[in-house]
Amino acid sequence: MMTDPYKVLGVSPDASDEEIKKAYRKLCMKYHPDANVDNPNKAQAEEKFKEVQQAYEAIMKKDSAAFGNSGGGFGSYQGGYGNSGNGSYGGFGNFGGFGGFGGFGGFGGFNNAQQELPPELKAAANYIRNGYYQEALTALKGVEKKTAAWYYYSALANRGLGNNVTAKDHAEQAYRMEPHNFIYQNLYQQCQNGNTWYQTQSQPYRTARMGCNNVCLDSCLLTLACNLCCCGGGNYCCGRNY
Amino acid sequence: MFGYIVIHKSELKIKDFEAYNAFYCGLCKTLKKRHGISGQATLNYDLTMVVLLLTGLYEPEISWGKTRCLAHPLGNHTTAVNVFSAYCADMNVLLADEKLKDDVADEKKLSAPLSHLILNRKARKVRALYPEKAAVITASLQELAAAEERGETNLDLVSGCFGKVLATVCCYKDDVWQEELNRFGFFLGKFIYLLDAYDDLSHDLKKGCYNPLIPLKDHEDFEERVYRILEMMMSEAARAFEILPIVTYSEILRNILYGGVWLKYFAKREKDQKTDDD
Repeated sequence: MMTDPYKVLGVSPDASDEEIKKAYRKLCMKYHPDANVDNPNKAQAEEKFKEVQQAYEAIMKKDSAAFGNSGGGFGSYQGGYGNSGNGSYGGFGNFGGFGGFGGFGGFGGFNNAQQELPPELKAAANYIRNGYYQEALTALKGVEKKTAAWYYYSALANRGLGNNVTAKDHAEQAYRMEPHNFIYQNLYQQCQNGNTWYQTQSQPYRTARMGCNNVCLDSCLLTLACNLCCCGGGNYCCGRNY
Repeated sequence: MFGYIVIHKSELKIKDFEAYNAFYCGLCKTLKKRHGISGQATLNYDLTMVVLLLTGLYEPEISWGKTRCLAHPLGNHTTAVNVFSAYCADMNVLLADEKLKDDVADEKKLSAPLSHLILNRKARKVRALYPEKAAVITASLQELAAAEERGETNLDLVSGCFGKVLATVCCYKDDVWQEELNRFGFFLGKFIYLLDAYDDLSHDLKKGCYNPLIPLKDHEDFEERVYRILEMMMSEAARAFEILPIVTYSEILRNILYGGVWLKYFAKREKDQKTDDD
């Protein structure tokens, strides 16, 4: 995208997320196809609408690479569901790459080392680069010796499938096996960035005491009352036992 | 697995609390209208959150009303109803029906076969309305049941099955927000499943039931590990949420996603610590 996305939305580059979202919504309402049915310039309005959408995504998703989670490339859940039929890795759709491997910068440094990689790892790396994470895992399954590189690619592939527990464990394993490898270190760090970000975000919403007494006493009473007047349909509300 | 997506009431502004309750009451009213009393019995706070999420994202027209309520006979209650109340009411019935199917198969609850008979008819109507979603939900829950049956230890795999279910529910339609809604629902679903497992751990250990956290139990840093895993799930869900251009009701949703979802976790920790101290 050539145009400055902030200019497209009419906000300053240091605008808050809230300001960006409000600006986006305002422009969306203005240029939405439904709002421009009688507009003689409706083709331009539609172009503008798409531009606004792209600008919003460019701004809001640009941090995804640093955060270490999905960029683009999310497949439909039907496609993803089909992949999980093999059972061993419950992938779901595609959680995209690292917001583009260029941004991540890791593969650049890796190019020389890649010559020495066994074919399965090279294949996995290529699959991952193109967003075929399930295929990458399949390629990795055939490898007997689990080197640090194996764990690294496994982490990336699992990350792409949304298997973040496994991804973090394998990223950690790669890092522990080769602690001086900056790329492994970086990936392991990225797997923890989300938690740090979440902790900061959470602060305004937590109180010192979040134990039992504050919990759903109201909703428990509500549930009891609901169940008294409903035909014994079972305890679905607030029920720990689903 | 319901009951974790609640508000942290003491941190919520009164006007937000009233709006939240209005949507909850609206969901109840819609359940009764669309699916009768057996539908109404499936009411929960979890899908109220989804109503708010989709309302904030798409900003549909809302019908505000008042109703009387047998469960809360004193005074009138404000109701907020929109297209997503109907959608979540339908999803609720579908999920409850799946749960009952599971109960009947397990022979866990004696009342299950009768309840299932009644709800099943309603659920069949919903399945006809949303065939693709219903198929994904049923298949994911079957996959989950099979995984639990074989004693699956891969946390991503088992929790991911439930993740798929919630992702399907949250992703109302295929549009530009499909990716974020799917990711939001997926990781929130994983969080719920794993928190539920954590909640049930002592019971499952005693009764020899399946629990995916059992293999982790003997690590000395078990509590820390579980907390980090749960936090990782919520961070992904929250990140997806923050990408969505939601302005209206965003504070209620943040109250839930950053605070409310942890209430039962902290309640359990407190309770366990008290038991340890005794």
